[in-house]
Amino acid sequence: MSERPGALLDISGLNTNYGKISILRDVSLSVNAGEVVALLGLNGAGKTTTMRSILGLTPPRSGSIRFEGASIEGWPAYKVARLGVGYVPEGRRMFKDLTTLENLQLAETGRSGDWTIARVLEHLPKLAELRGRKAGRLSGGEQEMLAIGRALVSNPRLLLVDEPSQGLAPLVVEEVYRILGELKGRGVAILLVEQNALLALKIADRAYVLDSGKIVYAGSAAELRADRERVRTLMGLSDVVA
Amino acid sequence: MTHDLAPQLFNGLVLGAFYGIVAIGLSLIMNLTGTINMAHGSFMTLAGYLAYTMVQRGMSFWVALIVAPLIVVIVGVLVERGLVRPLYKREPFYSLLMTFGLSLMAEEAFRLIWGPNGVPFSPPPALAGAAALGFMSFPTFRIFIAGVLIVAIVALALFLTRTRFGLRLRAAVQDTEMIAALGTNTQVLYAVNFGLGILLAGIAGVLAAGMLGLSPTSGNALLMPAFVTVIIGGMGSLFGSIVGGLLIGMAISLTTLFIPAASEVAMYILMAIVLLVRPRGLFGEEGIFG
Repeated sequence: MSERPGALLDISGLNTNYGKISILRDVSLSVNAGEVVALLGLNGAGKTTTMRSILGLTPPRSGSIRFEGASIEGWPAYKVARLGVGYVPEGRRMFKDLTTLENLQLAETGRSGDWTIARVLEHLPKLAELRGRKAGRLSGGEQEMLAIGRALVSNPRLLLVDEPSQGLAPLVVEEVYRILGELKGRGVAILLVEQNALLALKIADRAYVLDSGKIVYAGSAAELRADRERVRTLMGLSDVVA
Repeated sequence: MTHDLAPQLFNGLVLGAFYGIVAIGLSLIMNLTGTINMAHGSFMTLAGYLAYTMVQRGMSFWVALIVAPLIVVIVGVLVERGLVRPLYKREPFYSLLMTFGLSLMAEEAFRLIWGPNGVPFSPPPALAGAAALGFMSFPTFRIFIAGVLIVAIVALALFLTRTRFGLRLRAAVQDTEMIAALGTNTQVLYAVNFGLGILLAGIAGVLAAGMLGLSPTSGNALLMPAFVTVIIGGMGSLFGSIVGGLLIGMAISLTTLFIPAASEVAMYILMAIVLLVRPRGLFGEEGIFG
């Protein structure tokens, strides 16, 4: 697939292996500035591996990853992060022995922009109340907010958000998605991995569906959402929620 | 015998502080990268010999106390970059074997350069003699050693808890991959952390040379008590290393006074008791650098 001019993130022909096992096969996708793109699929389809490949945590075997025009495939993770890619990982991955504030301070790597710790705390007031508490003692929802806040402190142009609803109560999921919706309103581009397909399609502009490491759908999120039968076919019955 | 008790206890504390500071250096390196640095004692010996040579050539002890550990840090960072780093992705067994081999090579190199026997390394005149502490008198150099080791431990604790770099180190011990995904160059963290561990070994090496003597094997002789210290204090706990070191120092000193024949095994008996009661060591559950 040829390069899409103007795309913030442009992945083309990506192949990633774990050892000898091929996980991603010829994956191509793009995210434009200010856009929310959902990356859907069953467990083991390759969604998290796609994110890890972008971040350089699991370097791809072949293919190209361009971010703001720069070829970043195979870069170390810290360089990708400093270029403006924020990461909200599956399971939150808090530094549990550090406080909320210290978790936020870790993401201050010198990238200038609107998001400072003070602004994040103002925007997510719950975190301000919990600033001195160890991250390991926060609830799942509070940890998810901290994970989002932590990624914002680095002033990302693109947020990679992996399974933000996992293990959270429905009300908390609503709150997390309200925050993601607000970020979208502020022009932060988001690549959103989610098992809860219909939930992700509510805020996404476009969607990709991965099946066994291959892209099997690429198109409008609204269209996919409207066609529940198609979502069921692509995702499997059990994963269509909301 | 009881009038010997106070000085002997103080001796035990100084000796224990040595074990503690070497154990902290080992723990720093082990916690972040899983590397069991069997060459740690060699870095101590190298610092001792470098300080000895500097003093022999007319430099002051005070300069040697600062410069020798810094040179050893440079050697340590080069070793980390060239030899240890390529092994990070392998089982810890590989780096253990490599550093063990390195310590054997270093020991032979010390023999070739400085001779097979011990060399005299005396503290400077200002630190010679004994100081009266009211209820007892105690060698001035040992009081100085206690002071330096306390300052080093406090400085390290402040560095780890009050600076941004220390914060990143504490975070990296918990999740190296995530700290990289937040924009921290972990290779720099590894190098600085290794250097920090070696700096502590270097300072301890120069001081130990003046107190315990200096020979090609003198650093390695401190290594086993330091490993026992890490186990007693609990893996990953800096505070545990200090407590463990002091306990071992006291145990050795007291058995030397009351049952001299048992002094060699005292620390192993202490380790066995601690492990029976708390298999993770005294502070092993309290988190890294706890």
